[in-house]
Amino acid sequence: MTRQRTLIAVAAFALCMLVPLFVHQDYQLNVLFRLFLFAALSLAWNLVGGYAGQLSLGQAAFFGCGAYGLVLFNEKLGVPIPIAFALGVVIAVGAAFLIGRVAFRLRGPYFALSTIAFAEVLRISAKNLTSITGGDVGVQAPALFGSDPSRWFYWSAVLLTAAAFAITVWIARSRFGYWLQAIREDEDTALACGIDAAGTKLRALMISAALSAIGGGLYASLFYFIVPDQVLGLDISNQIAIAGMLGGAGTLTGPIVGAVLLESANELFKNLFHEAHLLIYGVLIVLVVLFLPEGIVGTLGRLWRRRTQRA
Amino acid sequence: MVVQIWSALQAVLNGLLTGALYAIVGMGMALIFGVMRIVNFAHGAFMMLGMYATYVLFEKLHVNPYFGFLAAAAILFVLGYATYEGLLRRIADRSDFMQILLTLGISLIITDGVQLIFGADYHQISIPLLDINVKLGPHISLNAPWLLSFAITVVLATGMFLFVMKSRLGRALRAIAQNRYAASLMGIDVMRVQALSFGLGLAAVGAAGGLLLPVFYLYPTAGDQFTLKAFVIVVLGGMGSVGGAAIAGLVLGVIENLTSLYWGNEWALVVDFIVFLLVLSLRPSGLFGSQRV
Repeated sequence: MTRQRTLIAVAAFALCMLVPLFVHQDYQLNVLFRLFLFAALSLAWNLVGGYAGQLSLGQAAFFGCGAYGLVLFNEKLGVPIPIAFALGVVIAVGAAFLIGRVAFRLRGPYFALSTIAFAEVLRISAKNLTSITGGDVGVQAPALFGSDPSRWFYWSAVLLTAAAFAITVWIARSRFGYWLQAIREDEDTALACGIDAAGTKLRALMISAALSAIGGGLYASLFYFIVPDQVLGLDISNQIAIAGMLGGAGTLTGPIVGAVLLESANELFKNLFHEAHLLIYGVLIVLVVLFLPEGIVGTLGRLWRRRTQRA
Repeated sequence: MVVQIWSALQAVLNGLLTGALYAIVGMGMALIFGVMRIVNFAHGAFMMLGMYATYVLFEKLHVNPYFGFLAAAAILFVLGYATYEGLLRRIADRSDFMQILLTLGISLIITDGVQLIFGADYHQISIPLLDINVKLGPHISLNAPWLLSFAITVVLATGMFLFVMKSRLGRALRAIAQNRYAASLMGIDVMRVQALSFGLGLAAVGAAGGLLLPVFYLYPTAGDQFTLKAFVIVVLGGMGSVGGAAIAGLVLGVIENLTSLYWGNEWALVVDFIVFLLVLSLRPSGLFGSQRV
């Protein structure tokens, strides 16, 4: 990324930070919060799904660890909020370590299946352990921000997205990122070049988990109340992966574009069609896989390169 | 103590009855995976379609579900063939990443489509057979519809196994599973055989759906848990092994029923997945060897 592009990115995020000067309604700020939250989650997914080429369909596991970590450590054990928040992130990273150790020794569809299985084990356990998590009744989350919370949540989501973006930029240009891409393109060749494929993928997953868990903590606090299906459900995992694919897996800005489009569409369709949003997701996935396998940003990038080469 | 043994035995027998249905679901998944290397994330959604097909036949035309399931299987076969020709064929050469996403998309479309047409309400059919329990001695009793579906399933599973192992088309299936390229050099029309096997895999899961209808609640997401269970079965049986999947289905049924007995029904799915993760980490070729299809 050139200096010019860095400036553009910094300016764009700075502009986003200014939005609360013009938008005052809590509802609108919360919609924008969700938009940035999912952008950050999709960026986190992209490290594993895009750069390393490993389809994770269980990101909700990490998201949920962050959410439940904050809530349970604070509400049940009386740990101060910042430490409880950090512990949630640590637990998510630990979970990523566990699942990665099992799943990354295997290739192909096994990884995707294991991530789903792992997230489902967490979700159903959270539903069943009613004495700890409150089960389907839910549990109350602590308030992270005292006054004017909608603004602060919005700002935190923008910062999280900026952080996830900066990490992606850094990884994409570092040796670590080239390792990931080498593994994606051809794991055997990468191994032959002396790359520790399993370890590299594992580190990517742990970074991804940490970012997702921070998002989970923010989400839990904003919603006051969390239930297992909400923060650990397959829907969240699917939505994150779909946003990443739609925008373009393995591109810098793709996940942001995908998340913004998907969340805006969600918000519009929520009022228009109510129950059909999963149908729209499904149609989107099928269309992307058949016609835009590189996602929106990936395809536009390819067209752009072709044009500049010709000229 | 004696009572505990009887209740454990009851759970094992119930597990075998449930497991037979799982076996059919898993065999369908294994067939598809073995021949096409596609992990069918829409498996449960197609099963739910089989249930709805049987349900509509029962409600509108008063077809007994124990005949209706055959119609469901036929409908699902056609649907599977069409899905392959229309969608899956176009991404046959892409990564499994794309194939998983495509079938996930199909699954969302089917599930939400059914919900828009039929609503999210729960349905249940009532047939006289449901009230009959067969007593085996003083301690063991088995529910008649489960026994009947078990008998049908055994016939279906045996037929499917023999078809894969003995018939000409079955031999072509296994050849493709071993080496797709070499199979095409031997004059096998790979695309056509894959379309047929996707149809057959879905017919199996459609039949299972029809047989499950009398003993299960029907709602649009009823099939979701079976997609996940089918993965577990296929991994347990050795990826792509149809015979292994049949045994793994029975094993899973027994594990689930014993879990329900000792820890409660709500933990059954958790134990399923833990078994799955354990098998993946300790013995990825599955419990029953690595032979494919």
